[in-house]
This record gives sequence, C-alpha cells and structure tokens, in this order.
Amino acid sequence: MSLILAIDTSFGTSVALVENGKLLAEHNVLDTMKHAELIGSAITDVLARAGVKPNQVGAVVAGRGPAPFTGLRVGLAAATMFAAGVGIKLYGAVSLDAIALAALPAVDVSKDAPLLVTADARRKEVYWALYSGINAQGEPIRVDGPGVLKPAELEDYLVNRNVHPIRTDIAISAASLAFLLEAQLRSGNASQEVGALYLRAADAVEPKARIGKAVSG
Amino acid sequence: MSQLKILPAEESHIEQMMALELECFGRDAWTEESMRFEALADHTRYFVLLDGEKVRGYAGLSKLPASHQADVQTIAVDPQLRGQGYGRKLMDRLVSEARNLGASEIFLEVRADNSVAQGLYASMGFEHIDTRKRYYQPDDVDAWVMRAALAAETKSQPVVLGIESSCDETGIGIVRGSTLLANVISSSMDQHARFGGVVPEIAARAHLEALQPTLIQALHDAKLSMDDIDAIAVTNGPGLAGALMVGVGAAKALAVASGKPIYAVNHLVGHVGVDVLEGELELPTIALLVSGGHTSLLLVRDLLDDVTLLGETIDDAAGEAFDKVARLLGLGYPGGPSIDIAAKTGDPKAIRFPRGLTLPKDMEKHRYDFSFSGLKTAVARWVEVAEARGEAFSVADVAASFREAVADVLTAKAVAACNDHGVKRLLLGGGVVANARLRELATERCKANDIELRIPELKLCTDNGAMIAALGAQLVMAGRAPSSLDFGVDSTLSVETVYTR
Repeated sequence: MSLILAIDTSFGTSVALVENGKLLAEHNVLDTMKHAELIGSAITDVLARAGVKPNQVGAVVAGRGPAPFTGLRVGLAAATMFAAGVGIKLYGAVSLDAIALAALPAVDVSKDAPLLVTADARRKEVYWALYSGINAQGEPIRVDGPGVLKPAELEDYLVNRNVHPIRTDIAISAASLAFLLEAQLRSGNASQEVGALYLRAADAVEPKARIGKAVSG
Repeated sequence: MSQLKILPAEESHIEQMMALELECFGRDAWTEESMRFEALADHTRYFVLLDGEKVRGYAGLSKLPASHQADVQTIAVDPQLRGQGYGRKLMDRLVSEARNLGASEIFLEVRADNSVAQGLYASMGFEHIDTRKRYYQPDDVDAWVMRAALAAETKSQPVVLGIESSCDETGIGIVRGSTLLANVISSSMDQHARFGGVVPEIAARAHLEALQPTLIQALHDAKLSMDDIDAIAVTNGPGLAGALMVGVGAAKALAVASGKPIYAVNHLVGHVGVDVLEGELELPTIALLVSGGHTSLLLVRDLLDDVTLLGETIDDAAGEAFDKVARLLGLGYPGGPSIDIAAKTGDPKAIRFPRGLTLPKDMEKHRYDFSFSGLKTAVARWVEVAEARGEAFSVADVAASFREAVADVLTAKAVAACNDHGVKRLLLGGGVVANARLRELATERCKANDIELRIPELKLCTDNGAMIAALGAQLVMAGRAPSSLDFGVDSTLSVETVYTR
C-alpha cells in the first residue's frame, strides 16, 4: 500500500500522512472558521515533517462530512486539486465513519447499545450516525445515518427504537480518515465519490413562489 | 491580390491541403488519412495560409504535453507563391506557437539537397545538429536534423494558471506572459435562474463540483501539463465568501502539489488586467466595471501599484438591477440579455426614469458613485400604477427606458471621470458590458469627448480565470514576491489591494 494524504475540514483543519497503518505526520487545528487560511500550510507541514515530496504521495482521501458546508468544502476542494495536481487517485470517506473507527476499539457495543457519533451541524442541529462494531476488514459497521436532527429529535428517535447508545467525544482526525481508507482499500469498499454530504438543501427561496417553503431544514 | 492570412487549420481545409501536398511532395506525400489525423490531433498545431477561402500553404507542429521539444512536421507553400516570404511567415508562426506551448527547443528535418530551405531555417536560428543517412527514399537523399533553442525567450514569459470563483462562474485560465492559452468557464447561472439572482450556497456547491473538470479542460486547451505551469494565481476577493473559499482552498493545494508559487489577486483589478491579453494595456486609464455584483469606477495609473477607487454603487449593482427589473416585467434571468431583447422595439424616451445620484446636491458627495435601488423602485411603482389604472402598457418601452437610465448614468459618470482627471481612456469590464445599449452609448459619448474606448472580448469581460492568470503573470514578470500560503478571503477586499502578500 502506498502513502496516503488525508484531508478533513469537517470540524477544524486536519491533514495527515499515513503509510501502511503507520502515521507519519499529522497537523490539527481546531479553529472552525479559518480553513481557507490554514489548509495550504497544513499540507505543507505534514509533507515537510514526513520528509515526503508531493509526487511521492500515492493517494488522497477527503472527508466528505456531513459537516457545516463552508469549511467542509475547503478540504474537499484542496483534496481534489492536490490529487489532480500530482495526478493520483482521489477517494472520499464519511467523516463520522472515521470518528467511529477511532472510538470503537475502546467501547463495548451491542445491538441495543451501538456507538453514536455526532457532530455539530449549526442551527441547533447535529449530524449523527450509529455503529455496531468493526468488521473483519477493520471497517466500522454503520447501521443508521448519517442524518441531521435537532438534539431532542435525535433522542426521541433513539428512544422510539429502543436504542441506548454509547456516546463518544473523540474529535475527527485525518489520521483516522487515512486508516479508514486503508481498511476500505483492503476490503474493496474504497469509494471515489467525493461529493460533500450536505444533508440539507441550499437555503434559497424562489421569488413570489406559491409553493410554500421551497427547501427543508 | 487580397491579403493572405495565417489561421488554425480546420477540417474544412483538409481537402485543399491534400491537393497542395500532392503537388509539393509527389510520391513522398502523406495520405489524406494521415493528413486529417495529424492536422486535427490534440498534440499538434496546424496552420493554413489562406487567400480568401483558398489554401495556399500550410505548416504543422507537434508538441506532446509533458515534453519540452516541438517538432516541425511539415511545411508547404503553393509553388506560385514561393520566394515571397510566406514560408518564413508560416515558420514564424510555428516557432511562436512552440514557445506558447512551453517548448524549449524545436526540431525539424530537411532534405540535404534543399539548400534554399536550409538557408531559411539557418536564418531563423536553426543549427544543423545531425544527419540521417539516406533518409528520403527512393531518392536516396540524406536528411539534416536542425534544432533551434527557445529557452531564453520563454523565461521572461511565465506560464500562470488562474482560478476565479468569486461569484457564479468557476473560471480556470492559463496565460503565457500576456498571451492567452486557455480560458475555461463553468457557470452555475442556470441553477440560479428560478431564484432570480445568484444564491451564494448554490454557487459554492457548483464551484466544488466544477473544479476538477474545469482544470482538466484548461490544461487540455492549453496543451500543457501541470509541470509546465510556473505559478498559480487565485481570486481572494472581493466576492461571495463561501464561493471564494472553494477557489482559495483549491489553489493552495494545487500550488503545494506542484511546488509552484501562489499569488492571491484582486478580482476587480483582474477585470482591468485582462486587457493585456488583447494588446498593450495603455495607462493611465479610467475603468468602469459593471456586473451582477459590482459597479465600480476606477482610476488606474499603474496596474500593480496605483489603482484608486473613484466611486461605486451605494446599493444594488447594475446587473442586479437588470435582474430585478426583468423579474418585475416577467422577463427571463439573467436580466441583462432578456431586457436587451425586450428593449429592442421599445422607445427609450417613453418614460423618464430617475438617474441615481445625478442631482447637484448628490453630485457634491457622490460624483462617481452609483445608485440603482431607487431606479428599480421607480420602475416597480410605474408598473403598479399602470396596472392599478387598468392601463395597457408596453413592456418594450419600460425595458428600453429602464435600460436607457442605467446606460446613461453609467456612461455619463465614466466620461466625467475621464474628463475630470484628464485621462482620455476608458476601459469597460464585467458581465453587463454584454449589454448592447451600454456599449453603444459608451462608444458614442467617448467619441464625442475624444476618449479612447477599450472593450475586451466578452469572454474576457465576464468573470473568468484568464484575467486572474493575466494579473498573476504581470506580478511574476514584475518580480513581485508570491503570497504567503496563509492568506484568507476578503469578501469586501479594497480595489487598492492589487494582491495580498
């Protein structure tokens, strides 16, 4: 397997270089407003610390969220152009899955008590997904989600399904995203779909629209 | 005899090229199949010498994207025109094309017994570097391999890739110095149509999706690879923040991936700088930039160091006013073109709509500022009143009168700026320049005031990446230090910040 550059801006700005299950360098800044400023230096920094030239990178993986749109897009745009610039493959992965991959080894999950991963969706809502464990290839098994709900709605949703999840506050890291891609490449589940997971339509109202609310959320 | 022109070869020329090929090369001639393939291939550039519709000569060059070598594949001139310098003209074109494509050297083969051609090539800097024995059969004649270096001249002409994403167009352009190599624009305009104006979130989403295909198309059009790019330029303002961030994130990663410097440039100054692609940008000049997002009047004494904002809109941009009035009149989006069409049969003097900020008291404070919000409201009121009275009215007259009010105030203030500052040049930029009446009135008034008017080609007036690349190339050629990798976007970036360090 080759060198993987992972980029995730679903929360802060996180960039990592991973090779065969080993983390070579990672750069994490938790600021949720400065992705456009930080992304270039973050990539430069991990390459420099790992002593890797851009053309030695074998693949790029981008975190697709779900996440607040504006910041998320910076990472996806950067991953897309880095891959295009070097001429290497670009993969996409669900950011919540990467969090689950990092959190699952430390928790005891069961059918009624899966792992719940949430992320701030702004507007008093959260993105969420449920995981039942890790499969033989080392991938997290997502059993529900990703979705977006108000916290109270999410709790109702879980109670109604008699689910009492284990929660985690592990933050997203690009290293986890890269490990996730490695597992997906082994299992043949790696995806080259890199579209942002918005889960909400763009806010826009048609002028003089007579159809009520034009968009949800 | 009419003027002969050298133009890129097209499918329709192949038949005539073949006739000339057979006449010039006899049994060495290519087949029509080879000619069509080579003349129209992606890795070649073929040109024809045209006398009206008639092909009197042609020449072709091959240059692979990742290679720094170009090869002259063929050159032929009608025997009746030989000795008149047309062979040299075709060769000059190939050499300059090779340079534009990023070649550092150019090769050709010539018969050892063709001293006339050898003399021409030698006079153009080609040297005899090798001989291929008995290359031309069945004549059993050697071929000379000749080579000319292009490197020295390409250095001062940096290849810059520019990325623009400040509004609803994802633009990627490539220039070499002041020569346009590619200008690819992917617009999300259709997605905004039902909302009657640009929706920032929709624009930002569309940018992200358009990035990769637009980059590939631009490199393809320029026949270059990323290895050939010397620097990256990107718009970091003014514009829609979320949209700008997509371009900035993309440009930074592309710069890091390719190891090239990055320049964060001002969108509005890009609209001025684009004129270098259409010949010398003559300075000083007044620039009137009118689009859906901007209405600005600038005094440009120096493109990189001295750009002054004389005035701008204090409310809606002119393009926005067109969109809103078009919607009001039940015309399509974008409003500029639909109002242009509707206004064709209308009387521009039918209704006297107000000219914003032109009254004496306003002129004191806002001599070069614009306001279109009142005009839009005036049109709305006029229509409401007419409808309330149950009067039939002519949409064409309303459209023509509204358009006249906009064009009148834009050109009057621009001409005043020229006269006040003793600058007898006016440059137009921005998408609203597509408006026929604006161009007409600007032409008329500039002529009357002895002002030289410059209007770049429309594809360079609307938002595009080529203008960003062109401004970036000017910065590189002036030896300016690149931006640091840590710049951000600034949705209200001042026009006086030409680039962000």
